[in-house]
Amino acid sequence: MKQSIRKALVSAAATILLGGIAPAASARDIVWARYGDMDTLDPHRATSTLSLQVWSLVYDTLLAVDATGKPVPNVARSWTTSTDGTEYTFKLNEGVVCHDGTPLDANDVKYTVDRAFDTSNPSLTKASWGPVTSVEVIDPLTVTIKLDKPFVALVPFLADSFSSIICDSSKDAPGFGSTAAIGSGPWKFVSWTKGDRIVLTGNTSYRNFGKLAENKGAPYMEGLVITTVPEPQARLAGLKTGAIQIAEPPLDDVPALKQSGDLKIVIAGNTGQNVFWEFAVHRPPFNDPRARRAVAHATDAAAAIDLIYGDLSLPEKCPISRGVFGNDQEFCARHGQSYDPEKARALLAELGYGPDKPLEVTMIAWTGGKRDKLAEVFQSQLAEVGITARIEIMDIGTMNARVRQENEKRDGIGSLDMMTWSWFDPDILYALWHSPGAYRGYTSSELDAMLEKTRVLSDQAEREAAVRDVMAYLLENAIHVPLYTPGWEWVFAVRPEVTGFKVAPFVYPVFNDVRF
Amino acid sequence: MWQFIGRRVALGVLTIFITTVAVTLLIHLVPGDPVQIMYAQSQGTTPEQIEQIRTSLGLDRSIPEQYVRFVGRLLEGDLGVTVRGRQPVLDLLLQRLPNTLALAFSAMAVAAVLGLPLGFLAAYRRGTMLDTALMTLAIAGVSVPHFWLGLLLLFAFAVELQWLPVAGTGPLNLVLPALTLGLSNAAIVARMTRSSMIDVMSQDFVRTAHAKGLPKAMVLERHVLRAGLVPIITMAGLQFAAMMGGAIVVENIFAWNGVGRLAIEAIFQRDYPMIQGFILVFATVVVVMSILLDVVYALVDPRIRRG
Repeated sequence: MKQSIRKALVSAAATILLGGIAPAASARDIVWARYGDMDTLDPHRATSTLSLQVWSLVYDTLLAVDATGKPVPNVARSWTTSTDGTEYTFKLNEGVVCHDGTPLDANDVKYTVDRAFDTSNPSLTKASWGPVTSVEVIDPLTVTIKLDKPFVALVPFLADSFSSIICDSSKDAPGFGSTAAIGSGPWKFVSWTKGDRIVLTGNTSYRNFGKLAENKGAPYMEGLVITTVPEPQARLAGLKTGAIQIAEPPLDDVPALKQSGDLKIVIAGNTGQNVFWEFAVHRPPFNDPRARRAVAHATDAAAAIDLIYGDLSLPEKCPISRGVFGNDQEFCARHGQSYDPEKARALLAELGYGPDKPLEVTMIAWTGGKRDKLAEVFQSQLAEVGITARIEIMDIGTMNARVRQENEKRDGIGSLDMMTWSWFDPDILYALWHSPGAYRGYTSSELDAMLEKTRVLSDQAEREAAVRDVMAYLLENAIHVPLYTPGWEWVFAVRPEVTGFKVAPFVYPVFNDVRF
Repeated sequence: MWQFIGRRVALGVLTIFITTVAVTLLIHLVPGDPVQIMYAQSQGTTPEQIEQIRTSLGLDRSIPEQYVRFVGRLLEGDLGVTVRGRQPVLDLLLQRLPNTLALAFSAMAVAAVLGLPLGFLAAYRRGTMLDTALMTLAIAGVSVPHFWLGLLLLFAFAVELQWLPVAGTGPLNLVLPALTLGLSNAAIVARMTRSSMIDVMSQDFVRTAHAKGLPKAMVLERHVLRAGLVPIITMAGLQFAAMMGGAIVVENIFAWNGVGRLAIEAIFQRDYPMIQGFILVFATVVVVMSILLDVVYALVDPRIRRG
């Protein structure tokens, strides 16, 4: 250890004298700055959006999504499902090449799934693959995934970077995940200085079979450098000087940037992010659906969003957001509580609250993204109908623990929170509301049965009906009151000379078409 | 002298030990759990798997047990792996410690180069307009938050004048964070220098030197400066610790890839092994610096090593 400390001191001196270790970006490189770094390049060892976004550049997936979020062919050119819904067979495209030059075939798919289910060290997201029992290589371009029982969420999962195909040559690559990553995506991994930058170079033999890009071949730019710049004002400074081409700007500066035209603003659509009210349901007042409905009727999400985010975000009517299978604004509007302060007051009066006896509650929200300002608007909306809300803002880690604590508390004043979740399939509702519940909140055997149904129905129309049943239940009982989408890290500012930048559903930026 | 150093080292080890115990207890007081946070906001896993991961990380054990395991591994030179990404904590820290040390030392240099002469000048011209002006500037310097000063410098030198790069880690990138951190500390050094020098200037031996008819310059250099520097050296040790702490804020503004940023991320993610590793390394650096300064101090002033 002493030796390494001496080494550290020597290298401190070297940092001062000789300059940084990280290579400067060349003029043919895209520089994309983000607020934080990925956790690892190993798709089985992390769950953060910051990691997923990088995997989506380095690796391919069997399927991809179109602009609406619907799964489409990608590395797999077609797929079939057995009649009992337990076998998925994929025909692969010819000509997909791994970054080390070996062709990508059915063995790489098998290697990836087997690795995810490794008994001694399974993938962190093993459960999302469903009850996979085995993977069978039929021929180099045909592979079958076998399940114990039907699991329809497998298809959208295979379009997400959680299911990134790892080339089987990675097995022998020392430092896989931190200094090596062998995929077949549009960008090849070059180096990673943790906390500072990830350097990628264009994969010249890339063929695009389904990714949301017009370019069917290799990316136009030579390289892509993903840097970490936590301070929003510093990212804006970098965008202004041209050191950075693409970054999330400070939200407060977006209107001015739009007006001046110095930078283009790109908003990610169909992110799957859902911001919603949920309640501590095991004690008064929110154990009574009337109190929850009163909050829902008192909330004018559209006005609040307009005031705080302008046209950067949209009110959302469904518990699963736009881009996710089953989302239907009209259906959800019919089953949810519309903005109606009179109804809210009437419900509160029924419960014994009124002008002389306001309902006192705690409103919990997550720091950042102007959510504190939004909470203040909601606070004044609730005050209109006689609900006095005390706002508490906290980091997401604390908030997750706190919401669960609130659900476990049997006394104290009521608590509601502005929770934020994101997933690409209605299966998210299962994670949130199936017993015991993500935060030990509302559960019922009736809802459990409805949720279980959404997992096994392989007929699309039948599944959609089951998802709708769940949504109607959640909305009518005001268990999950949707507010808006998207909700975090969804705004990108782009230098004016940069063309072709787009963001695919579920916040995956695509650089294949970028040129400047 | 060796006895003196031995005592200081023993005290230092004790300080580090107490710090790690305190931090281990404190991080568990903050609500939130690393595994829960990792999966928060998305689906990804089942409650059973979350429990399995918690068990594999040892998070299901009691806090004292977790601490003992931490110390046990530590004695083998192993700081464990991060909860996120499962990477060796020691490697991550040593990769980034040089950057923080470079920042802290450069900022120290800025503080010394600016603070010492200005403080000395103010003391020499005590009671004049120059003294008042310099000390007003110093109060302003101490009061300005790093965050605000950093953004001002960023917009002036990186965006408007474009003399320096905006953010990142490299030789030119060091200038702005070092200035930000150094300027406010220069103000502290200047104030300390002034009061220490004034103190010395009014002492009998200085009056004697003047009375002997020594030239003014020689009195200042040989008697005042030397005697006046002793308390400033001690203070530099405390300053250095403050500098390492201040570096956390400054690193964030300028995207300087140091251990401070690593620590902030780890705290938000409740990445316990990373937080513990950071505190250990941080405390060690501060303790080593203060021991070194104590030794320098003792060499300068023999009364110290006897006491």
